[in-house]
Amino acid sequence: MLEQQLVNGLSLGCVYALFALGFTLVFGVLGVVNLSHGAVFMVGAYAAERATAGLGWGIGGAILFALVFSGVIGVLIDVLVLRRLRARQAPHLIPMVATIGVAIVLNSAAQGIFGAENRRLPEEVISHTVYTFGNVQVTALELGIMLASALLMVALLMALRGTQIGRGLRAVAESPRAAYLVGIDVEKMFYLTSFIAAGLGGVAGVLIALYSNAVFPLMGQSMLHKGIAVIILGGMGDIRGAMLGGLFLGFAEVLAVAYIGSTSRDAVAFGLLFLVLLMRPTGLFGRGFERKV
Amino acid sequence: MESFETFWAIHGSLVLTAGINSLLAISIWLTLACGMLAMANAAFMGIGAYASAILTTTYGLPYPVGLAAGVLVPAAVAFAMGKPTLRLSGVYLAMATLAFGEVVRITAINAEGLTGGALGLNGIPPYTQWWHVVLALVATLIGLHLLRRSKTGRAFEAIKEDEVAASQMGIDIAGHKLAAFVLGGALAGLAGSLSAHMTFFIGPNEFGFDRGVEILTMAILGGVEGLLGPVIGAVLLTLLPELLRGLNEYRLIVNGFILVLVVLFLPGGIWRPRAMKSLFGGRAAA
Amino acid sequence: MNQTRLSVCIGASLLALSASSAHSADIAVGVAQALSGGAAQYGAAIRNGVQLAADEINAAGGINGDKIRLVVEDEQGKKEEAINVYKKLIFQDKVLMVLGPTLSNSAAAVNPIAQGSKMVNFGTSHTADGITAVGEYIFRNAMMEADVLPETIRVAVRKASIKKVAVLYGHDDVFTKSGYDNFKKALEDQKIPVVTTETFAKGDVDFKAQLTKIKSLNPDAIVLSALIAEGAPILVQARQLGINVPFIGGNGMNSTKVFELAKGASENLFIGSPWSSSNATPVNTKFIKAYTERFKVAPDQFAAQSYDAMYIAAQAFKEVKFTGNIATDRSALAAKLPSVKWEGATGPFEFRRFKDKGYDAQQTPIVSVTKGRAFVIEK
Repeated sequence: MLEQQLVNGLSLGCVYALFALGFTLVFGVLGVVNLSHGAVFMVGAYAAERATAGLGWGIGGAILFALVFSGVIGVLIDVLVLRRLRARQAPHLIPMVATIGVAIVLNSAAQGIFGAENRRLPEEVISHTVYTFGNVQVTALELGIMLASALLMVALLMALRGTQIGRGLRAVAESPRAAYLVGIDVEKMFYLTSFIAAGLGGVAGVLIALYSNAVFPLMGQSMLHKGIAVIILGGMGDIRGAMLGGLFLGFAEVLAVAYIGSTSRDAVAFGLLFLVLLMRPTGLFGRGFERKV
Repeated sequence: MESFETFWAIHGSLVLTAGINSLLAISIWLTLACGMLAMANAAFMGIGAYASAILTTTYGLPYPVGLAAGVLVPAAVAFAMGKPTLRLSGVYLAMATLAFGEVVRITAINAEGLTGGALGLNGIPPYTQWWHVVLALVATLIGLHLLRRSKTGRAFEAIKEDEVAASQMGIDIAGHKLAAFVLGGALAGLAGSLSAHMTFFIGPNEFGFDRGVEILTMAILGGVEGLLGPVIGAVLLTLLPELLRGLNEYRLIVNGFILVLVVLFLPGGIWRPRAMKSLFGGRAAA
Repeated sequence: MNQTRLSVCIGASLLALSASSAHSADIAVGVAQALSGGAAQYGAAIRNGVQLAADEINAAGGINGDKIRLVVEDEQGKKEEAINVYKKLIFQDKVLMVLGPTLSNSAAAVNPIAQGSKMVNFGTSHTADGITAVGEYIFRNAMMEADVLPETIRVAVRKASIKKVAVLYGHDDVFTKSGYDNFKKALEDQKIPVVTTETFAKGDVDFKAQLTKIKSLNPDAIVLSALIAEGAPILVQARQLGINVPFIGGNGMNSTKVFELAKGASENLFIGSPWSSSNATPVNTKFIKAYTERFKVAPDQFAAQSYDAMYIAAQAFKEVKFTGNIATDRSALAAKLPSVKWEGATGPFEFRRFKDKGYDAQQTPIVSVTKGRAFVIEK
């Protein structure tokens, strides 16, 4: 059983990491805890569901569609809501409250448009092969998710370090004022970040919709709670931390279920969160992220 | 008088709920007034509700005992939890209190023997009378009004404005923050106890994130500058679904929009005594 | 506005109001269901069932010539709102009785009010224990899980030679938790050993940790107390992990949605229910056809039970001599309702009194197993 549980932990961890990547990116660059990330995650899932079940597209097209659709919603949230609050220099808790409102609007809209009932993506869009390695069962999708999260993380890190835009983003993350003074178009960077983060969230939504066979309006909410735990564990704003935090939480939950008892699962997530906040708020894997304004 | 009786029979619970929600919104105001965003108040409401209901329903103790527990137990928990957590600033504190809310919910679900678990507590005696709520609300408003004018109240104000400067002036930041947190927890617990003894039944899923957001929206809508702000926000948001009965489908979405629009366009909320004073060309606010 | 115009306005409105209540021969029946919020899918199905029945009854001549008039309110699946709605229905609309609310939690909050006001409250979807303990004005036709689940287990054990089971249930939802309590008792009564008990929470997407543990202990079946939202993914993930034993499901799994969501993984699921879409009695067939035509979606167990409930209430209405005094009429109804026997979409029905308090459903559950994406009834 242990080998299978380890694989379970790995795939669950990658699921969490996928969600957390976009979530932590927004905090890193914009300095905002974007509690509407769960909603854009859900939007991506519905976008893919409509593309596949409604328009008959393949999974590749559906994922791309989800990425763009969620990304656009992310930019809209930034332009319509967050930008005004930036201009006002609102204390950072205010944007967080505003994103809560945005999430409620999006979730209710989804419920109004699609109904509260569960849906799923059509069976045919991905392969359902189950690979057996000794005692261990792994589906093609899980392998795909593990690969996707690793690739995304590496791509993000490389982009942030290697490209000009990436360096611009890091400069803004460090200090928007300083970046502005150096001539970086800070607002554009914010829009870009919002697009990428929300797009990532949307893609995560599609993959998790496939993984769990469930698309429903509140699917982002429980993910959001876990996402918060992940970015605290991993260090807020830290890309590598999102991956490591996600994996850590995934393993912790699975092993708690396997060896302590399934009721301890959620307690583990939030208990860890608490402990980390009390002892090392910058995260287990974070590198002491200090934002200078 | 028959028409008043009928009115009360139909709408009584609504009015009392507005009063209880006012207490909850004020409890958030307390911590916001001190510069903290504490989402734990919904959890404290739950702790108060369970503490009081367990004593009256399972152990058959009289209401005053239940109410006392409903205030003291959350206050104690707030004290124990506040000391380590209030060191955290801003966003981290918000996250910690959010997580705390989840921990309370999980505890309520797992402590089946005491709390009834997911099935909740049923058959809570309907002890709450209208004057309980009125008394609680009036006492709270008067008490907090006096507090604001006192040295402690001014200290809260100073901490909210500029924490560093306040500590330079010798104000015990940690102590005051803890006091605000504990008082807020006690108020929320009181509201929870009153509410539990009005609705016959409580369950663990009532005091989670959704409730926290609801209370926060009331406080923000009403405005956190003056004491009446949260009350106005609570009354409006309690009555709105009733007035907009036809728009029931859109109730949640309206809440979300209110939150966003108020934050964007009406940052001080509806009730802003200072702005109103200057508008009516009076002396500057004291 | 001057005095004269004001009084004319008031007079006109009063006239309009009284004109609208000119159908005083109508029998006002309250329907308080969750039409928005998380429980909306159930509330809507229940409302539809009542609506269909009421319209059929009225079309066939009503109750001795009087028409049933439904007063529908949305209680949003929240107990505070349910309380408000009930108070309005009882004191403002002065209905004869109410069908509702949707959730057992809300019922716990409003039943004391109905009982205190001496008005019948008829639940069609409350399967939790203790609902009818409030008093003699509380009725329900939703069969309690305590009656259904033991039968499901019995049939499954017989059909699939089950010696030991694992149990998996949602520990944070009233419905699935009380389902578990009933499963647990039934398993104890039937002396079936449980190799392990695992839990999950609403909104979870990953169940492989629990399922892997279950698989390692080799049960002959998995008893599952879940709603479809989690139940379907559980079935899929179980099959992905190579678990091939049958599932024994509670009320939540009794929905044709399981085929849509779990596809092939839905095979070999035993469920028990007061109603089955595959039960081809004349009444049921007619009901399914009428419902599907009118609402463009297949009915579920909730719709079937509420449809029957309206008919059951109507039988009692026929026996009541309406005096126009709402208090007298309400008590008269409460006296006539317990003795109603009816054969509806859910089969033969009668009430069974709970001690000296309210009235529960006395019915025989139907056990089915999923085969080829359909429910096949097992005897």
